[in-house]
Amino acid sequence: MDAFVFVFGGAFMTATPLLLAALGELTVEKSGVLNLSVEGMMALAAAIAFMATYNTGSHLLGFAAGAVSAMILSVVFATLVLFFMANQVAAGLATGILGLGLSALLARSYEAFTLAPLSKLDVPLLSDIPILGPILFHQDLVVYLTIGIGVGLIAFFYRTRAGLILRVVGENPHIAHSLGFSVMKIRFRAILFGGFMAGLAGAYASTVLTPVWSQGMIVGRGWIAVALVVFGTWRPLRVMMGAYFFGAALLGELAVQSGGIAISSQLMTCMPYVLTIIVLAVVSRDAVRIKLNAPVSLGENYRPIG
Amino acid sequence: MNVLAKTLTGMALSIVLSSSALAAEKLKIGFIVPNPIGEVGWDHELDRGRQAVAEHFGDKAEIQAVDSVGEGPDSTRVMNKMAAQGADVIFLGSFGHMNDGLKLARRHPDIAVIHAGGYLQHDNFATYAVRHYEGAYLAGMAAGYATESGTIGIIAAFPLPEVVGIMNSYVLGAQSVNPNLGDVKVVWMNSWFDPAKNKASAESLVSQGADVIFSLFPGTPSAVAAAEEMGVYVTVTLSDNTRFAPTRHLAAIQVDFRPIYIAKVQEVMDGKFTGNDTFAGIKDDAVGVAGLSPDLADEQREAILAKQEEIRSGAFHPFQGPITDREGKVVVAAGTSLDDGAIKGMNFLVGGIDTTLPN
Repeated sequence: MDAFVFVFGGAFMTATPLLLAALGELTVEKSGVLNLSVEGMMALAAAIAFMATYNTGSHLLGFAAGAVSAMILSVVFATLVLFFMANQVAAGLATGILGLGLSALLARSYEAFTLAPLSKLDVPLLSDIPILGPILFHQDLVVYLTIGIGVGLIAFFYRTRAGLILRVVGENPHIAHSLGFSVMKIRFRAILFGGFMAGLAGAYASTVLTPVWSQGMIVGRGWIAVALVVFGTWRPLRVMMGAYFFGAALLGELAVQSGGIAISSQLMTCMPYVLTIIVLAVVSRDAVRIKLNAPVSLGENYRPIG
Repeated sequence: MNVLAKTLTGMALSIVLSSSALAAEKLKIGFIVPNPIGEVGWDHELDRGRQAVAEHFGDKAEIQAVDSVGEGPDSTRVMNKMAAQGADVIFLGSFGHMNDGLKLARRHPDIAVIHAGGYLQHDNFATYAVRHYEGAYLAGMAAGYATESGTIGIIAAFPLPEVVGIMNSYVLGAQSVNPNLGDVKVVWMNSWFDPAKNKASAESLVSQGADVIFSLFPGTPSAVAAAEEMGVYVTVTLSDNTRFAPTRHLAAIQVDFRPIYIAKVQEVMDGKFTGNDTFAGIKDDAVGVAGLSPDLADEQREAILAKQEEIRSGAFHPFQGPITDREGKVVVAAGTSLDDGAIKGMNFLVGGIDTTLPN
């Protein structure tokens, strides 16, 4: 039973950095911009957040510093694609590499430093429910906040005017422009929000999930976040479920291995990726709905005329 | 003006002269390390080796060190640069430097290249490795003493022969002191570096009852820190990790590249360098047990240290028969022990380890 709690309770923590970054990237992509610098933004934020928390002892300051650093990087990206009309894929990759390099450089002298872990919040009564209590009500604050942000984004996209406008910009910037909305401004804000979220994700990874600094500690989680957006077919709820499922599958692999079940470990290691792709592909197999949700102008720069 | 020009020329000339005079005496030694140098682990130990060479040879050596050089184009670039600057000796710190290093050695027969962990040698391309398994037996003894649940959990990088050998020796050590030891649980990371996965693996093993963890080539101290957090004992390869688990660090398999490095550089200075293989262990002070927990009883600690001396003297060999594998087949017959070739190519798991190896 402990293994059960480990997998399904731990999945929330494992999923949180993926989900934070994926929700940010989802918003950026919904506005029609493909930002492939998530990995780099997360890495930079992880370094900055770690240094801030290490020197101040405050996780809050760490998260704030991480978010700001990733937002600065996202402004670099926004400048390239919105003002200089650079190719989004190339600009994203370049900005991402810049972030990875800065991350390694800035936190060089912090290699293998450790932080105190963030305490878990217990909800009175609810935490004492057998099985469900430790799974659902024994998490850190950021886990709950992330789910809150996800729910908030669903409400934003499908229940508010601003969310509708953002989606219109992603579908067809020409129409949005002719209706009098500033495509640039809206896309800029979306990119900034994406940076903010990637920053929180990086900060969570380095100060909460594994509070030991090592260069390159993000190890591809930013790319998984980008993939989750695509396989979640640009729907926030799918992305949330996909992230949680992926987290559970990652830990499930470890639980199965430590249980001594005789399956080749190489096979097991690729299982979380394969399973997540299969599940999300099956859930989202309706091609028409994918087309409805995929932002039509994704990856295309928009040049306002007149 | 004229005076100034003359002075400058004179200064420049004297600098050139003095530096070339120095270069003639000094042995130029380059160190290439694959990752950033942390407080513990592989790169940290390689760097301690470099420091020892600098201290030991003092003015006789001119040292150049570059870290965070992974395999691939980066390493070729750094190697060629060192060669172009007239390096006499180059230490390569990663298995992945093997092919590029071998090419370098073939192109520059006058450079002594010394490579960690590889299996190919050449006239001027030597290799070295450490008998981690000897220390692993001792750390395993500590684990066997400390476990109360009888369940030990191992987090291992890749199912490679060297890793399997360390795991086997560790488990044999644990079994030798604890007859009630249950099946040892294993999580293969299939990665040299993933801090989050390393930590989660430790949590997974603990959730299934392990109360001693062995982090085998983790590339990160995150499982060690996690063990401290969860209140279980931890043993670890390469370096004493006590600082990451001040109350829960049970034992470490401490490696020490310093004697190997100093011996190799001395060989080059004496003109005796050849492309041979060094496989150094407790006897050579290249490996040993370190960071033993104060929670171990005095007689337990003494037993561990006594075993270390037995291995040093050759009275005991971690892989001496009889040893049976998982299926109960005798893999090392009574009265014999494995030779170095069999140890380096180990492809079986001893009985009592609950995992599988790829075919």
